[in-house]
Amino acid sequence: MDTAIQILLGGVLQGAIFAMLALGFSLVYRVTGIVNLAQGAFCVVAALAMYSLESVFGWAPLPAAAGALAGTTLFGALLGATTFVPALSLLPNSSMLMLTVGLLTLIEGAILAVWGSQPYALPPFSGEAPVVIAGVRIVPQGFWIIGTAVVVIVTLWLVLARTTLGKALRACSDNPAAARLMGIDVERMRLLSFTMASLVGAIGGIMVAPVTSLEFDTGRFFTNSGFMAVAIGGMGSYIGAIGGGLLLGVTEQVAAGYVSSLFSNALTLGLLLITLLWRPNGLFASLGSRRSDAREELRVQRAIVRLSGPRAGLYAALALLGVLVLPYLVSSGVLSSLVITGILFIAVIGLDLLMGYTGQVSLGQAGFMAIGGYTSAVLATNYDWSPLSGVVAGMALSLVCAIVVSLVTMRLRGVYLALATLAFGLLVDSLAVGLTDTTGGPSGLVGIPSFSVGDYAFTTPRSMYYLVVGLIVALLIFFQGGIKSGFGRAIQAIRTDHMAAAAFGVNVERYKMAVFAVSAVLASLAGSLYGFFFHFLSPEMVGTSRSFEMIAMLVIGGEGTLVGPLFGTALLTLLPTIFQPFAVYKTAAEGLLMVLAFRFLPAGLFGTAVAWITRQAVRRKSDAGLGASGLKRSLP
Amino acid sequence: MTEIALAVREMTKRFGGLVATDNVSFDVPVGSVTALIGPNGAGKTTLFNLITNVYRTDRGEVRFGEVSLGAMQPARIAALGLVRTFQAARVFPGMTTLENVLAGAHLTLRSHPLRQMLWLKGARQEERVLIAKGEAMLELFGLRAFRDVAATDLPMGAQKLLDVIRALMARPRMLLLDEPAAGLNDSETAELGAALRAIRDSGITVMVVEHNMSLVMGVADQVLVLDAGRLVASGTPDEIRQNTEVIQAYIGQDTESGPC
Repeated sequence: MDTAIQILLGGVLQGAIFAMLALGFSLVYRVTGIVNLAQGAFCVVAALAMYSLESVFGWAPLPAAAGALAGTTLFGALLGATTFVPALSLLPNSSMLMLTVGLLTLIEGAILAVWGSQPYALPPFSGEAPVVIAGVRIVPQGFWIIGTAVVVIVTLWLVLARTTLGKALRACSDNPAAARLMGIDVERMRLLSFTMASLVGAIGGIMVAPVTSLEFDTGRFFTNSGFMAVAIGGMGSYIGAIGGGLLLGVTEQVAAGYVSSLFSNALTLGLLLITLLWRPNGLFASLGSRRSDAREELRVQRAIVRLSGPRAGLYAALALLGVLVLPYLVSSGVLSSLVITGILFIAVIGLDLLMGYTGQVSLGQAGFMAIGGYTSAVLATNYDWSPLSGVVAGMALSLVCAIVVSLVTMRLRGVYLALATLAFGLLVDSLAVGLTDTTGGPSGLVGIPSFSVGDYAFTTPRSMYYLVVGLIVALLIFFQGGIKSGFGRAIQAIRTDHMAAAAFGVNVERYKMAVFAVSAVLASLAGSLYGFFFHFLSPEMVGTSRSFEMIAMLVIGGEGTLVGPLFGTALLTLLPTIFQPFAVYKTAAEGLLMVLAFRFLPAGLFGTAVAWITRQAVRRKSDAGLGASGLKRSLP
Repeated sequence: MTEIALAVREMTKRFGGLVATDNVSFDVPVGSVTALIGPNGAGKTTLFNLITNVYRTDRGEVRFGEVSLGAMQPARIAALGLVRTFQAARVFPGMTTLENVLAGAHLTLRSHPLRQMLWLKGARQEERVLIAKGEAMLELFGLRAFRDVAATDLPMGAQKLLDVIRALMARPRMLLLDEPAAGLNDSETAELGAALRAIRDSGITVMVVEHNMSLVMGVADQVLVLDAGRLVASGTPDEIRQNTEVIQAYIGQDTESGPC
């Protein structure tokens, strides 16, 4: 009985933290209509800042806490003012979501560069000795957590419900255009909500730091939990955020306490999916139906990025020639990086089809790499399967998983699909770590053989290189044709306007599912090749960081351009190899480049280059007196 | 008794306290042009959204020919031959004008998507025929010169026409056009009127939401008047011109607030 109360209490404590996180999400969502995935990272920033102020600069706990909160809030305000808020009036919702992935990566990378990758814990605020009340032991920090959560919740509620400022914030979410007409400075309100959310996150981080250990990438778990809580409770609902947080916290602790933490992850994912299916608007959401066109949404705009005609053929032939002779020109270290570039690019092609062409955001693509990688590696290493049949088995398993995930999430749109895939990726992560007997756990799976087909084994980097290049060329030719066909028109129509696509009879759900399955199979193939190439596979090689990294590669290279992401992939893979000191800043650079790309190069490196080449061609043509017909083909 | 293409019965929809459509019933005869008019906020676009199940009805029934549209998915409704356009031109960005036109023909493609992607023989042939047809349509509506231009770069009038062409490519039995003349100048509107008559004469039933009275009165066989969600009048253009309630709806009171 005491254990039960103990566990329940733990759940309430955890729930209180989740509730605070969820409030942060809810706040930003209500004002901007965007889920800010960088939210959880502010918790970690604040906690680590407090740690440094205390242990390095010798501040007392109270001023250290105040300093950390002020610093984090200022950081949030700066980040919001320079990236998030200006982007709101430039980018459609799906890109905004990816921008926040970029911000999350950027902050995680900055933390990694400043504090390194080791775990940190803060000393408790008021001693370690547990207080015993009616036989139940409570750590003093628990009182701090509950007390702070109550204060934060009540204060925020008073601000939102009782003040003019609160009314202005809510007006921005209901109808930004009308709010603007009423003299409300919408941009300022958006920035205010972003900043308030970072403050709430920072408070949560400082409170929880004494009872958990924090690492540079713990932020994404906070993001995931807070996001889940708010999705379970109801996106725009204040009570929902709190209820969702508590429910999630208690469920997690009970499942972890009585079964295992692995089961707990699976159970919370299940809880989320059931909620989304049963009550898509969350358990506590108001039931009034809302006109879907009430919120003005930025339409997806994009330029046509494409080279065509004999010139394009010439460029392609030259590029292929370069790629074929490359292995003879570089060192073996760079050659290995090139093979990795190629392997990752296979997965990124799938991601481009899914995100760039069909407009579906997946934050868990590396989950399929893990499924493919571990399936083929385990079968080949422990069960003497041939690598090829292992790869096929992995692809089949990924296909099944993708179909199940998309059947469950079929009716979910945009942000919910992204959430489901993030949760899926984290679940696969924890399975890879937890199923130690099969996967080797955190230390990884060793002794994976080389890839082979029949009697030929691809043992050298050079042979792997040509294998991967061959695969990529075949895939690019196939998908280039696919994009130009009726199938390609249908998925691009879905991306930009699913309502109009449906009005022309496109079976939106089926096409989305097909593309999701294709992207999963490609990721699976890449995961398998990755394991065979390294002869080793560990959870972090195919974890959520990898999912985020691949999104960065896609965005930097150029979404929806098929070949473009190769440049993003090569850039992010080769830079750390060529400039070793750069490795520490890799994650931060990834995030920064991604945020910059959204802001300044919406068509990515490749798209920008193509636009430039096309403009030059037009200029030459018009110089030759062919202006009129040339201009018509020009890019906007 | 003429054959009925679309029958709407007792259609009712509320958004919270707002009654968007209130017990609306009407028939659209096969081969006719039916115009739906009314002040802003009368519920015209909502009615289209209810017919094509973009919104779910609270009460009422829609029959297309013999089929009850019930809770059918929008894509299935299009497959039956009931195709719509949207109030604001919704061309697909990132695609050329011709590609937009071809995208409209999605339902007419017979070969399997995989055969399309691989450009196998049947699919290749099909694509060639489709492109020829698309080019002919662009020619017909005077947009041939824009064939390879990004559709979003077209002038607004051309985008609205592109919307109509795209819908025609689906080989519909009935077209629902939502304010096709909005943003068109006078000569473009006149061309559109001629195009609508030509579409009707080719055997396609047309229902059109329109504000432009000269267009409506020029092409419609039947006019329906919606005001504050209620159907206040229906009849031939001449009858509607005489109807006092219509005049009142348009002139006698302030226009309703809120977008359509």
